Amino acid sequence: MSNATDTVTGPEPMMAEPSSFESIYRERLVPMGRYLRRNKLMVGGLSILGVIVLLVIIGHLFYQQDDRKGNPQGVSELVYAASVPPRLKPSWNPWGEYPLGTDEQGRDILAHVLIGTPKTFRIGAIAAAIGIGVGLILAFVGAYVGGWADLIIRLLVDSLIPIPGLLVLILIATSLNPGQGLTENQLAFAIAVLAWPGPARVIRSQVLVMRERGYVTMAQMSGTSALGIIFKEMMPNLAPYLLASYVAALTGAMLATIGVETLGLGDIDAPTLGAMLYWIIFTNALLKAQWWWLIPPIVVIVALFVGLFMISAGLDEVANPRLRRRV
Amino acid sequence: MFVVTIWMASTIVFFLPRLSGQNPLAEKIYQEAQQGGYQDPDVAERVRVFEEKYGFDKPLWQQYVKFVVDVVQFDLGRSIFQWPKSVNEILAEKIMWTLVMGLLTLVLAFLIGSAMGALLEWRRNNWGLMVAMAPILAISAVPFFIFGLVLQLIVFNIDREFPLVYGFKQGVVGWPDWSDWEFIASVLKHAILPALSITLVSLGGWAMGMRGMMVTTKGEDYMVQAEAKGLPDRVMLTKYAIRNSLLPQVTGLTLALGLIVSGVVLVEIVFGYPGVGGQLLQAVRSNDYPTTQGIVFVLAFGTAAATLALDLMYPLLDPRIKSDGT
Repeated sequence: MSNATDTVTGPEPMMAEPSSFESIYRERLVPMGRYLRRNKLMVGGLSILGVIVLLVIIGHLFYQQDDRKGNPQGVSELVYAASVPPRLKPSWNPWGEYPLGTDEQGRDILAHVLIGTPKTFRIGAIAAAIGIGVGLILAFVGAYVGGWADLIIRLLVDSLIPIPGLLVLILIATSLNPGQGLTENQLAFAIAVLAWPGPARVIRSQVLVMRERGYVTMAQMSGTSALGIIFKEMMPNLAPYLLASYVAALTGAMLATIGVETLGLGDIDAPTLGAMLYWIIFTNALLKAQWWWLIPPIVVIVALFVGLFMISAGLDEVANPRLRRRV
Repeated sequence: MFVVTIWMASTIVFFLPRLSGQNPLAEKIYQEAQQGGYQDPDVAERVRVFEEKYGFDKPLWQQYVKFVVDVVQFDLGRSIFQWPKSVNEILAEKIMWTLVMGLLTLVLAFLIGSAMGALLEWRRNNWGLMVAMAPILAISAVPFFIFGLVLQLIVFNIDREFPLVYGFKQGVVGWPDWSDWEFIASVLKHAILPALSITLVSLGGWAMGMRGMMVTTKGEDYMVQAEAKGLPDRVMLTKYAIRNSLLPQVTGLTLALGLIVSGVVLVEIVFGYPGVGGQLLQAVRSNDYPTTQGIVFVLAFGTAAATLALDLMYPLLDPRIKSDGT
């Protein structure tokens, strides 16, 4: 999550008021804590994600495997167990060496999930950050420069939104690396290319509303430059919206990642969550009753998405104070 | 707007596959020539003839112009992989499956979800509804196809005979045959799981949107007036509250379309459903440009057209808005 907060609240330090740590604590953190206590959705979502992060970290720290047969030097045991070719029969024996069992290709499912989860998250985080960044810039350009620039940006955004993103992704995937599938970074950038129109539209309309507000007019009259207004006056007020659109974009990007990988258009031999689903569907694991292979990725994916959904619902409350009173 | 969307879709669809610099046509012909067992001396000549036929020998901009002109007339060319079938023929076989599945689930989820959301706000302290909502909301966060996998897993453990994949029972001679009742029954039975996975997942979003709107509507002056007039609860709910809250939901519908198309494509692949999703994947795997382009274009066109239709319908639903011909 550090990724997320870094990108979005970046401009915040610009409002630096001459205040000590103690007053920050009193003025910012205490009310925030009090607010969080009421915003149960946000707390719930954050704790689901927190548990996942914790489990992944613990897994990475303590993962051990007895048999190092054929494990080449320089690869960690975890990576080796997650990515290497046929060794064992697919089986499930929770008290043995592989607590979550092994899959059709003899890879350790636990290792696979431990490596795949952060990978999926990383791709989503990069793609969403780029998407929001581009969307933000275009939104400000559109709302501030106005005229033909705004017209073109609006036309682009409005006409790109109805085109189903997954289909374009499929085309990109087939044209960039035909036959092999996209590498992780390619996937992240390909998703980023499609991730900006939504945020651009939301942020633009917010900026348009904000521009008419009293404090902006005030700043204009006192001679603040356009950039000064954008960063000092608007950004802090935009922060909750940015955070909310970041979480939405992250969810969308992760969905796209898993979708593309499930279609077998990512790197199918890499230990990602989507590739796992690809093999599950491809080898008909369900009909072979290999349920131990299906359940871990599904549980992780469901938990990730439910967690993100709760956070975004919680952020909605922050962004739209009208909803706040009801909870 | 609509025109620009279509133009963009056709441009994306034209240029992206060409970036790969592959020549699937030549590959296919060489492959077939080798299957014959002996080296056909005229292979190069045949490649040339076919390239001419597909127009691959012309400069790129001419191909592009021709493609756009053809595509807006729905002439999508011929498949390379399944030659000499035209892409239109391939689509005709598959598109109805996707269309019916997509529309049916969309309408079902929209209606049931909106009704649930409306009731949730109207009868605020109804515990039954609130308890029912919790799992539906949790599910709504999960991608369609992941929930599809979950459903498969559950059903498989309850009833091993229940059809998990494909659009109808496989291996029966003479099927698909739409005049055979048994076939139709089989189709319906196979459609249950994919339809459920899309509908259940979409419910929550519509319900939440509707609930949010109902909160605003309930605070309006005309609601107070309706209550003061002593209108029956039911009339207030249906004629006053729901009617006004439904409008923004329709806007939501236009935004949801693209997501639903992507979702349906994935669900079809998970369930081995005979719609365009599986066809698209096959075309992508076999490097069949014209088919890939055709399917993506038609789906993008469908989404854009549905968006346009909803935009045009909006003034009918809300007389306060006069259409300015977007």
